[in-house]
Amino acid sequence: MIKDESTIKLMIDTVSSYVKDRLIPIEEECAENDSIPHEIIDEIRDLGLFGLSIPEEYGGLGLTLEEEMLVVFELCQASPIFRSVIGTNVGIGALGIVLDGTEEQKLKYLPKLASGELIGSFALTEPEAGSDAASLRSTALRDGDDYIINGTKRFITNAPEAGIFTVFARTDSENKGAGGISAFLVEKGTPGLSLGKNEKKMGQWGGHVCDVNFDDCRVPVSAIIGGKEGQGFKTAMKTLDKSRTHIAAVCVGASDRIIKEALSYAVERKQFSKPISDFQLIQAMLADSKAEAYAARSMVLETARKYDLKKNISTESSCCKLFASETVCKIADRAVQILGGSGYIRDYAVERFYRDVRLFRLYEGTSQIQQLIIARNMIKEIN
Amino acid sequence: MKLLVCIKQVPDLESRFKPDSEGVWYSESDLAWRMNEYDEFAVEQAVQLREKLGETVELTVLSIGPDRVVEAIKKALAMGCDNAVHIQDPVAAAKDPWQIASVIAVYAKDKGYDLIFTGMQSQDRGSAQVGVMVAEQLGYSSCTTLVGFEYDSGVVTAKRELEGGIKGVVKMKTPALVTCQLGLNVPRYPTLPNIMKSKKKEIITLAVSDLLTAEPLAATISFYSPTKKGGGLVLEGEVASLVDQVIGILKEKTSVLR
Ligand SMILES: Cc1cc2nc3c(=O)[nH]c(=O)nc-3n(C[C@H](O)[C@H](O)[C@H](O)COP(=O)(O)OP(=O)(O)OC[C@H]3O[C@@H](n4cnc5c(N)ncnc54)[C@H](O)[C@@H]3O)c2cc1C
Repeated sequence: MIKDESTIKLMIDTVSSYVKDRLIPIEEECAENDSIPHEIIDEIRDLGLFGLSIPEEYGGLGLTLEEEMLVVFELCQASPIFRSVIGTNVGIGALGIVLDGTEEQKLKYLPKLASGELIGSFALTEPEAGSDAASLRSTALRDGDDYIINGTKRFITNAPEAGIFTVFARTDSENKGAGGISAFLVEKGTPGLSLGKNEKKMGQWGGHVCDVNFDDCRVPVSAIIGGKEGQGFKTAMKTLDKSRTHIAAVCVGASDRIIKEALSYAVERKQFSKPISDFQLIQAMLADSKAEAYAARSMVLETARKYDLKKNISTESSCCKLFASETVCKIADRAVQILGGSGYIRDYAVERFYRDVRLFRLYEGTSQIQQLIIARNMIKEIN
Repeated sequence: MKLLVCIKQVPDLESRFKPDSEGVWYSESDLAWRMNEYDEFAVEQAVQLREKLGETVELTVLSIGPDRVVEAIKKALAMGCDNAVHIQDPVAAAKDPWQIASVIAVYAKDKGYDLIFTGMQSQDRGSAQVGVMVAEQLGYSSCTTLVGFEYDSGVVTAKRELEGGIKGVVKMKTPALVTCQLGLNVPRYPTLPNIMKSKKKEIITLAVSDLLTAEPLAATISFYSPTKKGGGLVLEGEVASLVDQVIGILKEKTSVLR
């Protein structure tokens, strides 16, 4: 749903100029240094990008999901690491509070998450609990007016920068399933919370993930999201339903950029005395990429509209995440092929994108997990 | 204190231009539109002055044109203008600079603007006349092609760029009008929160027929692309003979080696 066409157009304009003028020129440098300069983070903050999805009454922009998707398509014309900076505040690191938080929690954290003063992280995955997140082992035991959290969380995006963590832990030791899990808001600096070393990743250099360890980490009862035990897994799933569409939008933006790179190379590069874009085998790769990217874009927008009408999008968001992430990897693979040897060389953005986009088939549920969700929902519906 | 900034919406220069059916201007179909680049410098300078002088200043942005120009107006509001005037004119492109200037002057007369900012020229027509003619019709001092701007208690100090990069400094008392040139400032990106906030700012719409009193003084009689010159010359052969060929061409066709 688009609330106001001209407002969103202006926003897209701003983001598109900013991406062109500031982000694309330094994306290679950021990857090389595995870090984004502070002034860029400040600019992203000033532009208001951290607050895309946070409601206006808590200081965000309160965009509808369709509007958010359009902005994300534009932002992701640059390396996905810039999206990753705001990604957790727009998505998984803030959504738990937006969707299920108490009024007090919303007032305390959302304005700072919207302005980017605070970075939020989402800590669900554990060394022994990845795809099977409901089997997580971290515990939060009640002790008077507090809970004591113990456990290790793995591969937590933006953890080194985060000021607030949404942490999932088992409050009911009897219940080994999803119903025993609660979600907590744990602030950086809480005694017992510590970070592991930054992981060395295949791609998306400049964005950071690490372990988050909880060692007798004491938080007040008021830190439970929504104030109720046993709701944590539901919160996690609701969060992911929405944020998977966001990740799919990231894939669509990256697809467009990769296609642009491949196309401009194909019309310039000459072999057998003509541009390689004259060869039908190259054209087929370009055309398939275009058609698939367009399909992914259409799916994302359709799903976002459905969400904006307050409909359940569990199946659709998994379809989007599955299709868009598999698609962007195919497109990146074809782009490397179109560039030939150059596609394997660091000087070309395509080489970097090929590595960067691989992540999208893994996190926020692997492609196999999306397939399981889609099929499970289909079967549930028929029964 | 009251400030006015006048802006025009022009086609994105990356668009493909085609002459219209009468062959006197470009066809407006399939064009992407944006704020004239020089006007962005004007808006930025006006907003900077407004920020410096604070709440007692009112900054109005004005644009003449069809409904689409409201997009450019909204951008100026998001950059920091307080309110806006849209002078609705579906055929603004058919008016000559004198008429456009007189519409602005008729609107601005008696409104008590201390300072008016415009771009140096528009990127599509490029007449560079509107700003100075507004000043003339209002009896304001004016200064063109600004690359530096300072204001202090009723006095504008303007730095101008002259041919060959030479600079000139001009002082003027307000009321005054300045036209802004590349290099004056770096226009800000309207931030997303400011875009949201600017939705609440007022845009007054006026019909051009209520303000247009002047007859045109000039008419564009044709608009066309230059005929294509021959393609570049591609020299082939050994390096040594290439060098000889290049030197020959430079001697024959240019004064570089004379
Ligand atoms: C860079 C990065 C950032 C991340 N950020 C975060 C974050 O911010 N917060 C967070 O909580 N987590 C995060 N993760 C973790 C991510 O969500 C998990 O890695 C992912 O869910 C997969 O879990 P796993 O790595 O344990 O793989 P596993 O679950 O061990 O899966 C291994 C393989 O088995 C397959 N598989 C598993 N179960 C099934 C099944 N039932 N049927 C068929 N196939 C199956 C998987 O699809 C996969 O191919 C991040 C990971 C990375 C790499």
